[in-house]
Amino acid sequence: MLLVVTYSRPARRDLRNVCRAHEACVVRQFGRAALFSGTEFGAFQALRLHEKHGLDVQIEHVEPFEPTDVPKHVRKAAKRYEAREEPATPYERFASGRDLPDPDQLRGVDL
Amino acid sequence: MRLRVAGTTYTGAVVDLRARNVDGQTVAASIRGRRCLPAVSCPEPPAVYAYTGHVHPSMGLRTRTALAAAARSRGYETPQDDAIADRRAKLAELECSPPELPDPVDPVSESTIDGLQEAVATHRGRLTARQAVGADDEAAQAALRDAATELSELETQRAAVSETRELRRSRARAYRDTLEEQRRLADELANLRRSARATLVDRCAETFARAIDAVPGPVPDSPFDADPVTAALGVLRFAKTPAPVVLETDRFRSPTAASDCLDAPVVRC
Repeated sequence: MLLVVTYSRPARRDLRNVCRAHEACVVRQFGRAALFSGTEFGAFQALRLHEKHGLDVQIEHVEPFEPTDVPKHVRKAAKRYEAREEPATPYERFASGRDLPDPDQLRGVDL
Repeated sequence: MRLRVAGTTYTGAVVDLRARNVDGQTVAASIRGRRCLPAVSCPEPPAVYAYTGHVHPSMGLRTRTALAAAARSRGYETPQDDAIADRRAKLAELECSPPELPDPVDPVSESTIDGLQEAVATHRGRLTARQAVGADDEAAQAALRDAATELSELETQRAAVSETRELRRSRARAYRDTLEEQRRLADELANLRRSARATLVDRCAETFARAIDAVPGPVPDSPFDADPVTAALGVLRFAKTPAPVVLETDRFRSPTAASDCLDAPVVRC
């Protein structure tokens, strides 16, 4: 899918118009962004906006995501942290002393 | 003031142009420095003139905004002023023109590179085999050389493509970061100005109510429900008005009466 984000009023207005006129290629519309279907037609609509508004329109390729796309230790960390008893504990403190990766370690690794 | 209309010069605090065919809007624009003709020399009008510098029956008025500007003309300040100045300065500093990006380049096909890598391996194998049996290896060497050259060219091209891509992305990102910052500052500024305006309106609401009572016109239920002309006159009576106000209304007995009531120089059109 294609994520289209707008950074100016005119670009935002045209994005809304495209979304209204071509509902079929719009997966989801947010305030100043929309998710277009990953088809040549979706790309065509996104590129039209880019041609007209230049860098005020950002287009990103977006892949579907499943939790299983992520290494096990990351999933386990998220699960255990969300099950914590003390809501105010920051993750860094929660992870230290447990068998969990520290945040800097996670930051340094690309998916 | 000193006002020159089609060869005649008028001076003094009250000028009556009803006998002349002059458009009030034109005179008001000249007073605000938006036009050169008719030539007017007068003190600099404060911002409130943008709302009430020209009073006429078909005008509209955002009364609260105008009243806030009038309060500013009287030197009123608000607790938000420092923050407003700060956000304004930051916004002015933000350089926000779109950057130059290198043209996008078509990616090098990975399958072409894979194919060439395979070809190089095959040629190398053939060469080794021929050398092992002592056969003539000139053709095999040439084939290997050609394939290797082509592969290395493509690999260089691939590196250049990825570099261009990164450069395009990083410049675009920096630009969009600036746009986001600009948006955030503009939002903050708008909020600050709104609350400054509310503060000002609160502080001068009573004085404004008295001004509305003092100017001629229908009496509204509440000062902020006054019709635009009455409201404009009320705002002007409250505001500091060093520059001439253009009046195109019959509310006053005479231009002099208007000038007295508003405590302002007046041009009657």
